Amino acid sequence: MNMQLVTGNHAAGQAMSLAGEANRNARGVVCGIYPITPQTEIVEKVARFPFSKGRVIPVESEHSAMGVCIGAAANGARTFTASSSNGLAYMAENIMVAAFYRLPIVMAAVNRTLGPPWNIWADQGDSLMFRDFAWVQLYCDTSQDVADSSLLAFRIAEDPRVLLPVMVCMDAFIISHTSMEIEMASQEQADQFLPDCQIPHRLDSSRPFTTVGMTLPQDTLSHRLELDEAMKRVPAVLDEHRKNFNEVFGRQVAGAVSAYRTEDADRILIASGSLSTTTRDVVDAWRAKGEKVGLLRIKMFRPFPVEQVRRICRDAAKIGVLDRNYSAGTGGIFCHEVRSSLQGTGDQMVQGYLAGVGGGDVVPELVHEVVEDLTRRTRAGEPVWQGIE
Amino acid sequence: MIEIRIHGRGGQGGVTLAKILAAAEHREGKSVQAFGVYAAERSGAPVQAYLRCDSEPIHNPNQIYEPDHLIVLDPTLISPAILAGLKPGGWILLNCEKAPEHYAAQARVAAFRIATINATSIAVHNGLGSKTVPIVNTALAGAAARLLGMNLESVINAFSEFGFHGGNIDAAREAWDAVRIQQQEPAPGERHKPAMPRGRGPSILNGNSGAPSPIHTGQWANQQPVWEDATPPCNFICPAGNDVQGFLAELTEENIDSALEILLQTSPLPSVCGRVCPGFCMTQCNRSELEGPVNVRALERYAGDHGEVSIQPQKPRAQKVAVIGAGPAGLSGAYHLARLGYGVTLFEAGAELGGLMRTGIPAYRLPREALDRDIDRILKLGVETLINTPVDHDYLQTLAQEYDAVLAATGLQRLTSLDLGLDMRRVLQGIEFLDRARSGSVSVRGEDIVVVGGGNTAIDAARSAHRMGAHKVRIIYRRTRNEMPAIAEEVDDAIDEGIGIDFLCSPLRISRDNGKRTLSCQRMELGEPDEGGRRRPLAIPGSGFEIPCDRVILAIGQAADLSLLPEDATLSRERPIEQKGIAPVYPAGDLLTNEGTVTAAIGCGREMALMLHERFSGESLLEETPAAETVVRADKIRLQHFERRDRHDENVLPLTERQSFSEIRHGLKNVEEAKRCLSCGVCNSCDRCVTYCPDGVLRREGRDIIFDYDYCKGCGVCVSECSRAVIYMKAG
Repeated sequence: MNMQLVTGNHAAGQAMSLAGEANRNARGVVCGIYPITPQTEIVEKVARFPFSKGRVIPVESEHSAMGVCIGAAANGARTFTASSSNGLAYMAENIMVAAFYRLPIVMAAVNRTLGPPWNIWADQGDSLMFRDFAWVQLYCDTSQDVADSSLLAFRIAEDPRVLLPVMVCMDAFIISHTSMEIEMASQEQADQFLPDCQIPHRLDSSRPFTTVGMTLPQDTLSHRLELDEAMKRVPAVLDEHRKNFNEVFGRQVAGAVSAYRTEDADRILIASGSLSTTTRDVVDAWRAKGEKVGLLRIKMFRPFPVEQVRRICRDAAKIGVLDRNYSAGTGGIFCHEVRSSLQGTGDQMVQGYLAGVGGGDVVPELVHEVVEDLTRRTRAGEPVWQGIE
Repeated sequence: MIEIRIHGRGGQGGVTLAKILAAAEHREGKSVQAFGVYAAERSGAPVQAYLRCDSEPIHNPNQIYEPDHLIVLDPTLISPAILAGLKPGGWILLNCEKAPEHYAAQARVAAFRIATINATSIAVHNGLGSKTVPIVNTALAGAAARLLGMNLESVINAFSEFGFHGGNIDAAREAWDAVRIQQQEPAPGERHKPAMPRGRGPSILNGNSGAPSPIHTGQWANQQPVWEDATPPCNFICPAGNDVQGFLAELTEENIDSALEILLQTSPLPSVCGRVCPGFCMTQCNRSELEGPVNVRALERYAGDHGEVSIQPQKPRAQKVAVIGAGPAGLSGAYHLARLGYGVTLFEAGAELGGLMRTGIPAYRLPREALDRDIDRILKLGVETLINTPVDHDYLQTLAQEYDAVLAATGLQRLTSLDLGLDMRRVLQGIEFLDRARSGSVSVRGEDIVVVGGGNTAIDAARSAHRMGAHKVRIIYRRTRNEMPAIAEEVDDAIDEGIGIDFLCSPLRISRDNGKRTLSCQRMELGEPDEGGRRRPLAIPGSGFEIPCDRVILAIGQAADLSLLPEDATLSRERPIEQKGIAPVYPAGDLLTNEGTVTAAIGCGREMALMLHERFSGESLLEETPAAETVVRADKIRLQHFERRDRHDENVLPLTERQSFSEIRHGLKNVEEAKRCLSCGVCNSCDRCVTYCPDGVLRREGRDIIFDYDYCKGCGVCVSECSRAVIYMKAG
């Protein structure tokens, strides 16, 4: 075992670089990079990696970083980058282009609060603003999950049934800067796990063609439907490649959701990212008191794992969704997705809790308060602002 | 689970210490977590790092609020604040020189076990970091390993993951041995849970949300910005001592009167200088790096011509001063003395006041109205004038008995001549010619005029002769244009007006043949520099030639007539001429310095007047000359901060209309030109520093900038944003 004590940033940078190097016998790797706290260590790591074939291109903005990836992916390279917060916002137009052009780009998104006011701490609002941009989104909970999901991301993105970009998300500092011991892939394993990157619609000078020019509405309508079909294939593709992953690496990588002590739970807490690991300890504490509390961790936000959420939550009377993000005028974004997933399936109460919005440290006490509120509550109401009320 | 909190300062390696210990614990089979708390961290700022280790997997990624143990890297951080949440029975590992007992006696730490290690000293003698910033984390790792009951070898092996070798290993071993641990068992104590932040913060609509949280930097900032006016190059060079930057600053606000008031602090002749000064300041102007120097001379003229200032002299003083000579030095001395309240009598040999300003500078450059305006202002101060009153040696001795001091400013009365043969009736001195031209007692109509010389008098004489209807005017000068002492713009104007200049040419004699006069000349070449630094002209043998010449005007230099002064007098700028039993004599102006400009004479007259004042009153009003290194040159100006602005020039009389003595330059229409001043070295309250300070620790109070050094981190943004080198960095 290749155990290392590494941060989430290190894990992402290393794993993505291994994936890039694994494409050396095909069209190599290209990364457009631009720094921003707290992801800069990722692109620094990528910039130092001795790639056999390809280039790391430092550019002048996030928009151009993604532009480099788009151009290179359109030419068949394996491409990835990283960004965060307002950097992602600045990249927005090209984030959409990458997906609508069906380019299998992988991006590490270190979730940092959008400013102003300026704030460098964890909040998922940055990557969640792209929920309608046709990217697969994975929210990791540990450095190990970051490392493994980064490799898995390429396999999903480049799968001919998918061909969509994948965002690998992690909480700023809580994961990006915390050293944890993980098992890091070797180059041999990465080579074994990842086939050469094949992009069917890549540009080819031997057969020139014009692409993504002006199309009429009817064509665009079809392209949207194709996006939908590709998205719908993701869950099965994900699980298939998780099996492959297990075969190569000899360990499990978390899938779209992870259920913890939910079998007989009457109250289920739903959380993502680092919130889910804190919540896990709180669930254990309530279970120790004989209370039937469970945790459903949602890792994949797009496509949203509607079926799994329905299945796991079917028998629980109360669902509490913790969101480290906030959509103004509505509430937590995961909470809305959960509500709409459960629509028509029963009469569960789904209550939203805004926990750690703006990067606050969500200590176990705050999660205990969530369970207490959920236990007391008889009907769902407005989202509860943890830490203020 | 064991949770450890580490207190250090940015740059000391606290986060790395957490990671080293995590790696070591991991080698001993534990699950670990190590991280720092990140905020506005930077070198020297207090930072915290955390370490968790457990035999079970660790899920909670929160910061540590109730640590089992503490490690403190920096002795200056030891304070009650670090104890927050520490569990009773825990240990506190301090990097300090003192023994644990020094702290153990304090009641607030009774529930904890203190351990101390002089990690700084260990780091320094193992060569880790620098003397000022030693890296103490590997020594503390050794000490902490002992307290944690770990195997020292686990720590040392873990070092390899970080690339630490040599001195780091020695430091860890040394610290393991040397750590001093409080022997006495900790007393029982209560747990104190620190409060988590809760509740609403201030509204963003308050307008101060996102203001940087104050960071107390007083202890660690190692450099500090200083706000201090420096010396603008214009002020530094002005021979009159004018506050050039100061009067321009007033003009930028269109405060014409205030601008004039500033000029009148030093010079009583702004309307004159605004016309005839060579513009020393303009040669030094940093704006030259952009579009050319600020047109200071024209702006001074504007202030002098348009400003209205009424000057009230100080209350009368007992002493009376005789000022001899009403040229620029004498007028300046009289002005300053009169302002200070002294009784001043001005003795002038000529019929009018002004000296060479009136007789030697033609009206097309300096109309008499402009000169009179400045002189009237001086006379209004109550200066008594005696015209047609030449002062010779004996009269001066008499005055030195009747007055309390004499200021002698008679200028340069001895004219240098040349023997040009028998026909010296056809030779006039330049000064004499200019005076006679003014009074109309000479005619050159239709003549071929040759002016000899390269100074302002030569140019003035040539241009005057041209205006008086001379057939042809040419200047011959024995050096080249580069050596010419005349004001360059005047030379250009002369050439434009059709005056030819023969450089490297020297006159020999006037001869007459068949009623035609000619001047024979010879060609020169430049040899070695003379004692004045100018290259000496040498005649080229056999290079003689002749030019038509009806009249020669000699303008080849003047010298002081020292016969006026007491015998054996030593002339000095530092002290007057003293004679036993009678008043001191202060020589001033060209008589003393031979600097040859109105501006320099004004400065010297003022200087002598103020020296005299100091003798009478003990009050020193003369400013110290600033050190040359305080002068802000273009390399210190952030030229990129400034917008391009076109230079404003005065309207000038067209060449075709220059047949009379009407003034050529018509002055500026407005004072927009002043806005081109960069205000080099002088704060003009642009407040870029206040705007750009990332920590908001600067504020303006009136004209001053106040720094809150307790919260200034010494980043230097204010320095790099200061356009004019008023703020600089000082090691703190």
